[in-house]
This record gives sequence, C-alpha cells and structure tokens, in this order.
Amino acid sequence: MRIVVAYKWTCDPEEATARPDGTVDWSRAKPGLSTYDPVAMELARRLAEEAGAELVGVTVGAKGVGAPIASKAALGRGLDRVVIVEDESLREAGRSELAAVVAEVIRHIGDVDLVITGDSSVDVAAKMVPTVLAGELGWPAVAEVTSVTGQAGALRVERAIPGGVQVLQISGPAVLAASADAAAPRVPGMKELLAAARKPVELLDLTALKVPPAGAVMTVTGRARPERKARKGQLIDTTDPAAAAAELVAALRAAGAL
Amino acid sequence: MDFDLTDEQQLIREAVREFAQTEVAPKAAEIDRDHRFPSEFLARMAELNIMGMPYPEKFGGAGADNVSYVLAAEEIARACATTSVVLLAHASLATFPVYKFGTDAQQDRYLHDMASGRRLGAFALTEPGAGTDAGAGTTTATLKGDEYVLNGSKIFITNAPFAEIYIVFAKTDPAQGTRGMSAFIVERDTPGFSVGEAEHKLGIRGSSTPPLYFADCHIPQDALLGGEGDGFKIAMQTLDGGRIGIAAQAVGIAQGALDAAAAYAKERVQFGKPIAALQAIQWMIADMATQLDAARLLTYRAAWCEDNGRPYGTEGAMAKLFASETATRVCDRAIQVHGGYGFTESYPVERNYRDAKITELYEGTSEVQRMVIARSYLR
Amino acid sequence: MSVNAWIVVADQREVGNLIAVARSLGGPVGAVVAGPRSVAETVASGGVDKVVWCHAPDDAPPEASARAVADAVAADPPRVALAGRNPAERVLLGAVAARLNAAVLTGARSVSLDGDRTTVVNAVFGDISDETVAVSGPVALLLDGGSVPPAAGPGAPIEEVTVAPLGMKVVETRTHGFETVDLNAAHRVIGVGRGVKAKEDLALIEALAEAIEAEIACSRPVAEGLNWMGKDRYIGSSGAHIAPQLYLAVGISGQLQHMVGVTGAETIVGINSDANAAIFSHTDYGLVGDLYQLVPAITAALK
Repeated sequence: MRIVVAYKWTCDPEEATARPDGTVDWSRAKPGLSTYDPVAMELARRLAEEAGAELVGVTVGAKGVGAPIASKAALGRGLDRVVIVEDESLREAGRSELAAVVAEVIRHIGDVDLVITGDSSVDVAAKMVPTVLAGELGWPAVAEVTSVTGQAGALRVERAIPGGVQVLQISGPAVLAASADAAAPRVPGMKELLAAARKPVELLDLTALKVPPAGAVMTVTGRARPERKARKGQLIDTTDPAAAAAELVAALRAAGAL
Repeated sequence: MDFDLTDEQQLIREAVREFAQTEVAPKAAEIDRDHRFPSEFLARMAELNIMGMPYPEKFGGAGADNVSYVLAAEEIARACATTSVVLLAHASLATFPVYKFGTDAQQDRYLHDMASGRRLGAFALTEPGAGTDAGAGTTTATLKGDEYVLNGSKIFITNAPFAEIYIVFAKTDPAQGTRGMSAFIVERDTPGFSVGEAEHKLGIRGSSTPPLYFADCHIPQDALLGGEGDGFKIAMQTLDGGRIGIAAQAVGIAQGALDAAAAYAKERVQFGKPIAALQAIQWMIADMATQLDAARLLTYRAAWCEDNGRPYGTEGAMAKLFASETATRVCDRAIQVHGGYGFTESYPVERNYRDAKITELYEGTSEVQRMVIARSYLR
Repeated sequence: MSVNAWIVVADQREVGNLIAVARSLGGPVGAVVAGPRSVAETVASGGVDKVVWCHAPDDAPPEASARAVADAVAADPPRVALAGRNPAERVLLGAVAARLNAAVLTGARSVSLDGDRTTVVNAVFGDISDETVAVSGPVALLLDGGSVPPAAGPGAPIEEVTVAPLGMKVVETRTHGFETVDLNAAHRVIGVGRGVKAKEDLALIEALAEAIEAEIACSRPVAEGLNWMGKDRYIGSSGAHIAPQLYLAVGISGQLQHMVGVTGAETIVGINSDANAAIFSHTDYGLVGDLYQLVPAITAALK
C-alpha cells in the first residue's frame, strides 16, 4: 500500500503580530511542522505498521518548505521519503491552487492508495485543502477521522460525528483529514531523527508539473486590523471574592446581561 | 563563528523536550516525594535511544554527537533532576569506560546492552575515605590464579542496585597509590558483591545511591578493564566527559526553576499589580537568565570541543563549576521570587533548590574543578 | 433561471445564515442537499429559489454524493458557492470548488458582487488581520451556517437526483453519551479553559450555569485533549462562533484562536489567575483571581 501524508512547514500565528496597517509581521516566528500534521503522520504509521505500506510525505509551498530541516522533521516522524514542490510563486497561493498542485504531485507519484492530512494548518486553518484535493482527484474524502485500519481498497475509517463516532468502509483510494486529537503522536526516537538525513528527498519543478491555471484569480486590495467591539475593560477587585461576586452580578444586571 | 545548532540538534532537542514535558515533568514531584527510582522513564529513554545517545549505532547507540546528548540531558533535567542523573551516570560514567577501554570481547558482552539501554550501568569509584581524594581508595583486587578477588566498599553509587553492570575501581597494587588502581567490570549478582541500604539525601531523591560491599568477591581475570594500573587514568578521563553532562543537568534544573519563577511573577498580584511589574523582581529574573545562559554556552562549548577532537578537560571543568554554582544561585532566587509559597511543596522550586546542590558536589566537587582549571593556567 | 449562488448542504439543517448571505448577493439562490429528504424540505421552505436533492442509498454518508453535488452545481455554475463549517459540508464544497475551479475563502466577514468581481473581506491568521480580496471568477465560501431557517412561505421546488455514490458506506454508528448542544441558541454561555484543573471541578461550573441558565462550552485544549465534553462545545476559530448576550470565560487564557469564536458576544466576563492573560484585553469585566473561589461566590451572589 502506498500512503501519502500531506504536510505543511509553516509558522504559528501566535508568534506573529498585526501591524496597525493590517499587514502581518512574521519576523519573530520560527517555522515548524504544522501543529496537527504529526497526528496525521501517527495515523499513517499505525496503518503502515498493521498493513505494510510505503509512507510518502508531500509538501508544496514557497521558498523554505524544502529546507533540509523541514524534510528531516517530517522524515524523522516515520516517513520513508518526501516529495516537495518549492516555488516562490506559491507564497500567496489560495487553498484551491495548493490543492491543484498537490493533486499533480500525487499523480506524479502514482499508485497512491490513500492520502492522509492533518485537520487543518496552524496558520490558515481553512480545513479545505484536503477536500478540494479530493475533488481534484475525484476520490472520496472524509474529515474528522479518528482512526483508519484495513488494506488498500478496503479501508475502515472512523470519524467523529455530533454525539459520537461513525464507522465507514471505503473501497477505493481516498483522502482522509485526521481530527486534531485522533492520536497522540509518538515522540521521535534519536535514531529516527538522525536517520532522516539519509532518506530520499525529491524536489519537483512546478512548471514541469503542468498544473492547470487557477479559474479564479484573487487579488488582495486592502488590509486592515479587524474592528473589534470596544470592551469596557473594567477590572473588579477580587481581594474579597464575595464582594467581587456581588459587584459583578450588579454590573451584569445593570447591563442587561443577566 | 556559528552559534546555531545543526538541524539534527534542533530536532533532537524538540523531541526530548516533548518527551520530558509531556511524560516526565508530571511525575517529577511524586518521584521526589516517594524517593522513587523512575524505572518507567529508564524504559522510555531506552525506547527513544537516549540511554546510549553518543555511542555509535554499531554498538547499539544512537550515533548522536555530544552536543545533542547535552541538549537531551538538559531537557530531561528541566523536567526531573532524578531522571536526568539516572541517564547521565549510565551513559557518561558507566558506558564510556567500556566503549573507550573495553576489549572486543568486553564490548561484545556489555556495550550493546548498555548503549541500547537494555542493561543499566553504574560507576563505582567513591569510597567512605576517598571522595575528592579519589586515589586514596582502599578497595583491593588481588589476583589469585585466573581470578581477581575484590574486598572493600564503595559509597554513593548512583543507579545501584538497579544497575546490572558496575565499573568498579580497586587497587591491584596498593603501594603504588593512584598508579596501583585498576578498573573492573563487575556484574550485579556476583557472589560476594552486595548492595547496602539506600542513602537519604537532600535532593535527587529518586536516584538510588547506596553503598556497595565486596567481601571476597571473585571475578574472572578478563573482567579487568584496560591494563593493571590504568584505573585512575580511566576514572579521570571518564569524569572529564561526565562533568559536561552534569553541567547540562545543572543548566536544566536552573531553567526549570527560572521558568517557574517567571510564570509565578506574572500571576502573583501584590499592591494591585503582578510582581513582574516590579523592578526588583525584573532585575532578579534578568540576572538569573543571563547567568544561566552563560552556563549553557560554557556547557555547549565543552561538548563541542569533545565532538571536534579538541581537548575538553578544562572546558568541561569550567562548565561544571559555573553551571552548578549558577544552578544553586538561580534556584535560591527562584524561591525568593515565590516568597513564602516557594518554601512549600505546592510549588516546584523547593525541589529544584534541593536538587541543584548535588551538582556542586558529585563528579568532582567545585574545589576539584577549580584544581583542574588552575592547573591548566598555572602549569 | 441561472443560479447566482449555490448553497451546499449535507445533513445539517442550520443554514439560516447561508441563505441570508446568498440572498444579499441578489439573484437566484439554489441549494443542493445531500442528506435526508427532510433536510431538503426544510431548506426548500427556508427562502431559496430551487433545491436539488441528491438521493443516495440509506447507508451512504453525505460525502458519497460529492460528485453528484459537484455535477448539480456545475450544470448551472454560480458566482458564489457557500457551505457551513461542518466536516461533510467541507467535503461537498471541496468537490464543488474543484469542479468550478473556484477560489476558496474560509474567513469571510462580508461578501459582495461588484460587476464581474466578487469582493470578500476575509479574516486571516487566527483573526489578527482582515484582507479585502477581489476575486475574478467563482468563489467557494465556508461560513457559519447559522440557525435552522424558519419556514418562509411556500417552499421552492425540489428536484430529485438519484446518486451513484462514491465507494463509501456507513457500517456502524456509536454514541459517546455526551449531550449535544446548540450553542448558537444559547443566550448565555460559560466557557471552560485549562484553568479548571480536574473534570470533577466542572460541578462548580455546572452550578453557576444552572443559576444563570447558561450553556457550557470550552476552549480547544479542553475539547480535544481532555475529552470532558462533546466537541460541539468547542468555541474557537475552527469550532463554534457564537454571539450570546453574555459570555463568561473561566480559566481561559484568551488567545485569539478562542476569542474569535465569541467576538460577537454582547458582554464578555473573564476570570483568570494570571493578570497578564490575554483574556483581559477582550473583557468588559475582568476578575484576576482564583476561579475556585470566585465561581462559587458568583453562584452564591445570584441567589
């Protein structure tokens, strides 16, 4: 079985700040594997351990995503090899553009039985790249996946639904987006991390992939800091909890919130 | 000059931090309170190939460099000083002599098991009458036929009795002083070798450090490590590297205490604002952070020297000296930031304070480190 | 009729906001539903102009109709396609976006049609900035679904399409026993964060919730790592977005990824022991202190 794990190398917006003009300052942010991607890698490893599979990492993006440390971080989490498209023209790419590139990479790799992704990326958090990817490939897709077992062509997928868990049987290649808490990713071992540098890294040329042009061009015409509802910002003295409680209740009643 | 860690070093640090913070840190208080040897973490560190990190893969180690090993020790110590000393005594003190001085047969027999963490090791040099004056040991090893017979005792031996493999230093020729000392590999259940009662200590309370007793303990002749008379040299070379690990442990303990102090200062409100807004506290934190970073840089530099074939004896001694004294100072200030609460078991800093002190004492007291450093300048 | 905006629905009825946004664009609004017929009927009478109901076998999940949904939309391509923030809807919208070659935006605060451009004000990066984006070509938007639309006059016609489902079927369903909740319908909500140390301590929160008739919700770490309540109670950038009269954040640090879910609340109160916690820059009333003392005190003060 060949399993592709699509991952992202990017910064956490917690480390970014918005300037007054609305542009975002990433200078203090350090890139890493997107927070929920290790969960996807863990699900993929468990399936590979059960069923025997090759684990291929795929990532696409702007300059930096192909940095050796990015590949080592991914390979150190159990992937056998990685395939990367690193092209500066992808820096402002939208979700559907990225999905289209990933779809071409998957066609290039060939004989892929399953694509597993994280819940969403830590920075954009759109939750759409896996589903658009499935649309591009014409494959079934499922999100909020908590476990996947079985064989190529006969996958048993559990996914969260309101109120519980649903079990699906999927008969062909599919795209699965792991829920953020589907599994606790195992801590990489020292040997694994050191062996990562010896595993194959394939860099693909974007133009050679012949990705069909985007059907809708997005142009950013303005940026601003979001207008937030002005808050009173009143702090209530809590030295005496009972007095603080009384003051809060009175204020909320006066404001019509209670 | 490049102050960056390599990719591998960064990834190793992150992975060990993940392990230490999610698995070890939540148990640190209990390990200290119950004086409990953390066998579950011994198993986990073996699983993660941490127990023999700096040893080549062909011997069962991870093939990492010493800087990576130091990063790992620091991250573990930040979570739990006890767990870090179990690792350091095993990897730096017990495994190193077998790696550096063992015959092929000895390496076949012991090194893979030790570097992989399958069998735990201990280093038995210190005696009731021989601490800083390590050459004054009275434990003897007498050759009788094709066996050595050990008689004597050792004290404060980290990892006993959990360790299966002991590097024991004994005098094959007591008249020769340090030149009459030899090193031996002794297995735990050898008749005549017994382990005494646990020592009750101020800190690293989960670390087991009982005395060892040798009463007509017969060991095979090929248990000799190196040649007769090489023991003191083996011990000193081993400790040269070992003290870099202890420096890392001190840095880790101090970092944990500093993290706790900074978090507390942001939360504790007095006179209507968090105490972090008060200059007195800010200056304390600034001093702690600066000294800690200096200790860290000395430690990484010593490990780098070892990795790059440079001499590292003086550098290691400087790192250990400065990091250990910094750790006790930082932990003392950390309690001060916490005020009265810092004196209680509700906060971790009292444990950090008790744990830090040992780093000034074992693997060569600060006085020994000063001797080593002075010698290199005043030769 | 050339549909201007298609709403993509799976098996959730909560599409009121989608209908309102679609209508605001002007032009005919269509809805394609891949779920039970009853959902198609609710949508049909909720104010859309036409409904396509993808009828799949009973054991097919909504996702199995993704290709049929994309076919239906592609047969009458819109300027805008919209769907709610649920897993099945995201899959259906993804198929639509791929088929239409559409741009995808998931943080739209507003959308308008300007000639041949669609203009979207889109929140980015955990809500720290708003970008105004002009799109030439079709746009697929993920939005809060809103509430169940009330019946608004005679229903739109429902066209039934029989679906050949993609190879997937439901073989088992297990319930986890957490009571489900509609946070959007609650006037008052109490959010629980990691400041609450143990599951047993939720009793304190429940007592307060009962006293003020509030629903209980939580931040992401509580929803995922701790599993103290159903994930439908998670408020945040990838969870519920609510605008109650009162939101009381207990032991929540106040990171933007959580606060973005409650920016519309009328009044926000925060209780946290860390005076520097981000929550206090989002509150109308802030209490720096121990929630274990303050929450019971507030409950008592309400009697």
